[in-house]
Amino acid sequence: MAEFYTRMGDGSRVLMTREKILNDIQAGMADAVDMGGLPDLTPNDIEKLFEIISDKNRVVGVEPGNEVVLTYDIGQLDFTGDNGNSGNGVDVGRMESALLHERALGADTFELAHADYSIKPVKPVISNEMQTMEEIQNEIVAPYFYGAMPNAGLYYSPDGPYGNPADLMREFKIDEAMQAAEMTADHLARDIEYVATRLIAAGSDGFNFDTTASAGDADAVGTFKGVRALRKACPDTYINVGMAGESIMGIHGSIEFDGEIVAGTYPHQQVKFAQKAGANVFGPVVNTNTSKSLAWNLGRAVTFIKECVKVAEIPCHVNMGMGVGGIPMCETAPIDAVTRCNKAMVEIAKVDGV
Amino acid sequence: MADEKKALYDAMVAYKVPAIQQAVENARKSGMTASKIIDALGEGMTEVGILFERGKLFLPHVLSAAQGMKSAMEVLGPELLASGDVSAKRASVVMGTVEGDVHDIGKSICSTMLQCAGFDVHDLGRDVPKTSFISEIKGGCTMCGMSALMTTTMTVQKEVIEILKSEGLRDKVIVMVGGAPVTQAYADKIGADIYGESASETTNKAKTISS
Repeated sequence: MAEFYTRMGDGSRVLMTREKILNDIQAGMADAVDMGGLPDLTPNDIEKLFEIISDKNRVVGVEPGNEVVLTYDIGQLDFTGDNGNSGNGVDVGRMESALLHERALGADTFELAHADYSIKPVKPVISNEMQTMEEIQNEIVAPYFYGAMPNAGLYYSPDGPYGNPADLMREFKIDEAMQAAEMTADHLARDIEYVATRLIAAGSDGFNFDTTASAGDADAVGTFKGVRALRKACPDTYINVGMAGESIMGIHGSIEFDGEIVAGTYPHQQVKFAQKAGANVFGPVVNTNTSKSLAWNLGRAVTFIKECVKVAEIPCHVNMGMGVGGIPMCETAPIDAVTRCNKAMVEIAKVDGV
Repeated sequence: MADEKKALYDAMVAYKVPAIQQAVENARKSGMTASKIIDALGEGMTEVGILFERGKLFLPHVLSAAQGMKSAMEVLGPELLASGDVSAKRASVVMGTVEGDVHDIGKSICSTMLQCAGFDVHDLGRDVPKTSFISEIKGGCTMCGMSALMTTTMTVQKEVIEILKSEGLRDKVIVMVGGAPVTQAYADKIGADIYGESASETTNKAKTISS
């Protein structure tokens, strides 16, 4: 029986039969359907997914005419960062990195980022960031944003002024933990408005909120509130809200945005919060399970993202990188898996960008 | 007795501390033994863990259920000791997120689930130095749970196992590993005894191996 070269979620190589690949696609899909209350993929979608996964070529691409916008995040850090920070360990300046992305790597948009890639640490260096933004804007042609993670974790002890919910809850101080999360959400929203309005005043074409909800539901609510304030202050700016995972963790459990609980929501529900807040683009995320195959992970990820794109009223630029979008979680994501996952997201889930 | 058992289970799944305390009181009045009450609460806690993993319950709900369990144990513990039925007592476990890694939540849930299953849990928190795991094991812990959420920190799990070997402690401790980048294959490769994909799976495996 023919076997096809494919991957596990940890990046290891594996040979699988057609039957096994199809079974894993369907099992991954079933998991997404069950968790998110989503419709199944169609039989044509499943067959197309199998064709993509079993393609004999190491690298695959979309068919001509199916190309989508490529937005790059994390600024210069994808060069300068080490392996633990999604980078290559190559020392490149911020200007050079921006121009390389525009002129050599084919990025349709790019962004300036702080070394810590979080909103809070930008506050004390806001003047430096504004100056750098202005300098690069004078050279670059492609839309150039500022990017940062909301990263509400930096507002909790020991890094910030509020009690750490994880520590408080361990002591069964549940009400205090919830209050800390609520105060953090409001503080984050204020900081987002402070940082983003200044960078936009310095010439940024927009703002990318990366890894929203990484610290749970209060992180999400703080971001959505911050985006709303930013939209009010800068009606014409471009705002991209990208998420951290397929489900928003309930660290608070019942904190709301516009009267709705955000904890436990999935991409097709999260996009509605982003729309209401005033985002132009939504970046849905589906995390990879390292113990399952590429077929299982991609079947699951495409099921989530297809429904998100279907209900969205704004463009969806899916997050595709190490450990998300079906792509394996390992230090250097294998190119065979990366290209297959991207092709599936564009041609089956119908995303507007990557 | 089946009604009391169901009431205990339901109270845990509803995660409200006063209701759990009331269900325990009712069960005691009906003559249910302390160990059977704890078993029923433990089954409810397992369901709480599953609902958490499915995104139906959230962290405060899990901790509220755990608080109910703790409150029940304050009443039931002395009874358990007096009756001589100590079957619900399990091993001492040192838990922590390894050095260099500050991801705390998954490990904390796992600690809570283990505690509710009757283990004596020493949770050292996040960014735990390798030597702290070793100290706890030398102090009497017979199980060691290590979490790592990054590809760059999962190697620390292996380093702790190597230290255990070099200090002649490896055979005296059951090593559990987990976290997003960790797989069964990796756990086998580094010589861990238990790989847990989720908090409930880890707890079930820990219960099986320690029984």
